[in-house]
Order: sequence, then C-alpha cells, then structure tokens
Amino acid sequence: MANVPILVVDDDPSALDIVRTYLESEGYEVALARDGKEALAQMEAVHPAIVLLDVMMPGMDGWEVARIIKNHPDYTDVRVIMLTARSDFTDKQEGLRAGADDYIVKPIRLEELGKSVARNLAARGQAE
Amino acid sequence: MTILARVRDPELRARLSEAAEQLGARLVFAQDNAEAHIAREIAREHPSVVVLEPIHEIPLETLRSDARRSNAALLVAGHSTADAAAAVRAGADEWLLLPTTARDVEARIQTAIARSGVPSLRLENTARLIRYEEFLYDRRTGFPTLPVMIQRAREILEARGELTILYINFVWYEKIEETYGWQRLDDVLETTAAAVREFYINEYPAQQNVLMVSHVADDDFILFAELAGGDEARENQIRHISERLGGSLRDRVEAEHGEELAALCGIYVGAATVFRNPKIRTERLIYRGIREANRAARSAEEWERAGKIAHLKATIRDGAVFMEYHPIIVTATEEVYGFEALARGQRRELRSPEVLFEVAEEANMLWELSRLLRQRAVQGIINELKPDQYLFLNVDPHDFDDPAFLNLDPGELGIRDPSRIVLEITERSAITDYPRFQEYLTTFRERGFQFAVDDAGSGYAGLGSIANLAPDYIKLDISLISNIDTNFLKQNLVSTIVTFAESEGAKVIAEGVERREEFETVRELGVHLTQGFLFHRPRFVTAHEA
Repeated sequence: MANVPILVVDDDPSALDIVRTYLESEGYEVALARDGKEALAQMEAVHPAIVLLDVMMPGMDGWEVARIIKNHPDYTDVRVIMLTARSDFTDKQEGLRAGADDYIVKPIRLEELGKSVARNLAARGQAE
Repeated sequence: MTILARVRDPELRARLSEAAEQLGARLVFAQDNAEAHIAREIAREHPSVVVLEPIHEIPLETLRSDARRSNAALLVAGHSTADAAAAVRAGADEWLLLPTTARDVEARIQTAIARSGVPSLRLENTARLIRYEEFLYDRRTGFPTLPVMIQRAREILEARGELTILYINFVWYEKIEETYGWQRLDDVLETTAAAVREFYINEYPAQQNVLMVSHVADDDFILFAELAGGDEARENQIRHISERLGGSLRDRVEAEHGEELAALCGIYVGAATVFRNPKIRTERLIYRGIREANRAARSAEEWERAGKIAHLKATIRDGAVFMEYHPIIVTATEEVYGFEALARGQRRELRSPEVLFEVAEEANMLWELSRLLRQRAVQGIINELKPDQYLFLNVDPHDFDDPAFLNLDPGELGIRDPSRIVLEITERSAITDYPRFQEYLTTFRERGFQFAVDDAGSGYAGLGSIANLAPDYIKLDISLISNIDTNFLKQNLVSTIVTFAESEGAKVIAEGVERREEFETVRELGVHLTQGFLFHRPRFVTAHEA
C-alpha cells in the first residue's frame, strides 16, 4: 500500500521539501508540482492515490485544481486533501463544493498530515 | 487513398468497409497484432490513415511513431471514454467510440487525415489538450460538435437542395442540482447522452444523410437530416422522431434515476427546413435554420408549461394532491421523533413537489398551493401523532407574505397544540427583508410554533445567518451526508454545525441518510435526529376526499 504515489502541490518550495521528506520517510512514493498546470500534468504521469493541494497558488488556485480532478472520470479513485491557511466555516464549505475529501490547516503539523494520509488511504481502500 | 486497419470487432470492420467505399479508398486489414508486423504493413502499404483498436501489448505512442514515419494519420477506435482519453494522450490524430456508424467513421477518417497534416497537436499541457478535444467532440456522447460537422451539412444541402434541422432541447428543473447535487445532474446528463446516442445508432445505422451533432457548451443536440417526401411526410417524420426520442429518453432516465427525478426533466424537439438559395451563403442558411429550430423547440417547451399550469389549476381546484410522511428518528435511540410532510400531485406531470412549486410560481398561485398543502398535511396525520411526536411542515419565506398564513388560526387547521408543529423554512425564495422576517417568526413563536432551517451547510450562507433566525432545528443539506463516512471534510463541517447548534440550543437533523455507514458516522458526530430511506420508507396518505 505504501507504494501508491502521493502528489504534493504547493508553490512554496520549502513546504514541498518538508512534506516530501516526511512522506518519503514514511515510505510513500512522492511526486511534486509547483502549480495547477504542473499538478494536472503530474496527474497524467503518476496517477496518484492522494493529492495534497495547497489552496493559495498563483494562476489556478487549489479549489479550481480540486474541481478539475474531482470532475475527471479517470480520477474517481483519487483523494484530494486541501492544505489551507484558513480554517473558518466558509472556507471549508468552499472545499465541500470543490469536492475535497479532507483538509489540513497550515502551518502543517506532520503528525496530523500522516494521520490524514493514512485515513484517506484507508477510506480509498474501502471504496474500491 | 489507402486505409490500413488492425481491427477485430466485426461491426467496426463492416462500418469501415462502408466508409472506405464512400471515400473511394482501398481498405487493407493487418492480420497480426505484433508491432513489427503493423510497422511493416505501414511501410509497405503507405496508408493515409491507420485505424486501430487499443492493443494492450503495444503502447499507442509506438504505433503513432510508426504511422508518423510514413506520414499516415492514426485513428483509434475505443470502447470507452477511457480508451478515447488514452488515445488523445498518446497523440492519436483522431478517435471514435464504438458502436458507430459508417458516416461517423468516414468523417473521422477525414478529420484524422486533416489533422495529421498539422505539425503537432500535442500541446505542452494536457489540460489544454483535453479542452481542445472537447471543443471538437462532446465528451459525453462522442458526437462531433457543430464546427466539425457544418461542412458535411453544407454538402448535403448543396447536393439535395434541402436540409431539415431538428433541435433537441434537453431541459431540467434547476432543483435537480439543488436537491440532488451536481454529481447527480451529471449522471442524468450522461444517461440522456447515452440514450440519444443509442437512438441515433439504432434509427440511422448506415444512413448517409443523417448527421448527429452535439451542441458545444450546452446539453442540446442537433440532428441534420434529409427528410424527403414533401411537407406532410416531413412533418410526420419530425413528429415520429420527437415522440420516439422523447419516449426513450424518459424511459431511460426513469429506469436509471427513478420516476421522481425523471419528472424534473423534459425533452423538446423543434424543427426547421432550409432550402438551397444561391444568393445566400449556405453556412448562413444552416445557422439560420438552427436558430429557427431552436426557437421551435423552446416554443414546444412553453406549450408544455402552459399545459402544466392548466393541470395545476385543476389540481388546486380539486385538491388532487396526496401526502407523504417521512419519519424523523432520534439518532441515539432510533425512536420516531416526528414526521415531515411532503406533498405530491396526483397527476403524473405534477407528481414531483419541485415541479408543483415551480409551476405554481409561474402561475402566480404559490399561496393557493401552500394553503392546500398545509391543510392536507395537517389533516392527514394530526390524529395519529403520538403526544410526544412532532409534525414538520415546509414553509417558504414567500408564505409569510400571505395574510392567510400570517393570521393562521391553528384550531381551524385542526392543530390543538402548536408546539408540536415545526415550520421548516426552505429557502425556495430568498429572504429579502430580514428584520421583517424575524418579526414574522416572532409572532409564530409566541403562538408556540417551532422552527427549522433547511439545507444548512451547502449554500453560501454561513452559520451567522442561521443564528439570526434562531431556529429550534438545523437540517443539514443532503450533500453533506452522502458518503460522509469516507469524507473527512464533511465530517468536520457537520461536527462544527453540531457544536454551533448546541451552543444555540438547537437540534441538528441529518437528511438523506441512506447507508448504515452514513448513519454510524452521523451518530458518532452527535447529530441528534436522522431522516432518510435507511430506516423507514415514507408512509403514504391519500387524503383526497373532495
């Protein structure tokens, strides 16, 4: 199960680095993208099980990317976890409308990230 | 011109032969799946186009390079949209979906050849590539879009002197999206697209002069046909097509999504025939015909609406409605807490409550309808309610402008204890004047009525606007409940609402609970009350004794 790739999308290189290091140390395969366009190209290339998606990005924002992924017939099995600096109710409602499966509030606590990834992988396993 | 095909499907082989004959092309079938064999055949035959079914052992990219090397176009015949997407990704010049028609195969061969001449269609970014594809072919139906087929339509018109355009207008009530969510609406659209496709393929298997087109960025379709035989024969054929298509679409939607949802959709066909006129550009004639057919389709829709209004008036006059009572249970104990009354029309076309209200709004008879439904809802169950059970009645903000409702006498309706009645405010119409609305609520509250707000959590309204109404119950939107057991964002939202409700002294109701896992999850989240098909099917009461 640990071999399913996780795609991390964030325009902040240091955030990408931390998340990648952590996930790799947990035994996951990790792919990276710095913006929405790259994220969609990576979707094609690696077909990840989980996408960790930053909301605030230049160009296409995270909500838009989530919408595209969640509406795409090839990606019905992909779980989308939003990384968001805001955690108020309306922000989460936006996530609901975009079709997100989970969210993590930034700054990211690695332990919480690990838990979220694990429960989403488990939920994904159930759905199949 | 030579067509080289590596195809096993006998249907497709037959269609290819017909298409090749139309194109005056030589058709060669490759006998073997090995890449080396196909490459050799390409080198020997110098085909203009290579037609392939996806072959698992060989990556399409490799075959594409083989085709490119001898300047042949690549056309991939897939069985699913996933095959088509893979073909696009691999850089195939064109794809088609099976089953298909000779006419389709022919058009796609031409497009493949035309496109292979263009330097490269592989755009840097896949998202853009997919969008580009969608512009040419509809993702749902695989039908070409208008820009692709206008040339063929022109040819028919120029060759035959006339062309009939049928505009197939698929409409649905906005409520589908609001009530069932966009995913469900997408499923319905998918079903209609499949049904249209099937209809076309069954009715016109090899007809050269019937073209089916998807209308870009819309869910409408256009059928170009040569319907010969004079005006009367043409009219008959148009009527026949409308009926057949309308009927098969309704049946499909009903079979796959249920009668309730099917009642919220409609299909309307409008037709126009254009005749060749040397003074007017053919293309303009065709576009003009499309507009005319579109208008005709809309007026068919208006006719039906007018018919529905007449039915509604009769329904209100005769009281031809029946009530359904959906039980609401206490999540912790699974005991019945109360019932929500939902109305349905007795006439088939007004069965769905959404349609009832939408038609009433158009007919300006909302108050009359509401009065009838309130009366029926109370009468149907009030004497059977246990002393500790509640009756949930739907009211619209609009109803509060009705003096008959505002000055409602509970006794007259048969309500002995107003505190057993929960007025459930559904925001069918928006609340425009909040202070006044709150005043109205106060007068009802003083008389003992309770309140619920409907569909919380999905719309753009935050919790603040719910707090303003100070409801006794907060009903969660269905979109929050479906698959909540595996969606952690939904769990978090519901948990926030439960905490909020408790601080406001309100109870939370989860609506649309259909699976055991969803129920377990809402129970763990502390949702007080639950409603949905998991526990009880609704009770029907036909209170029609007028």
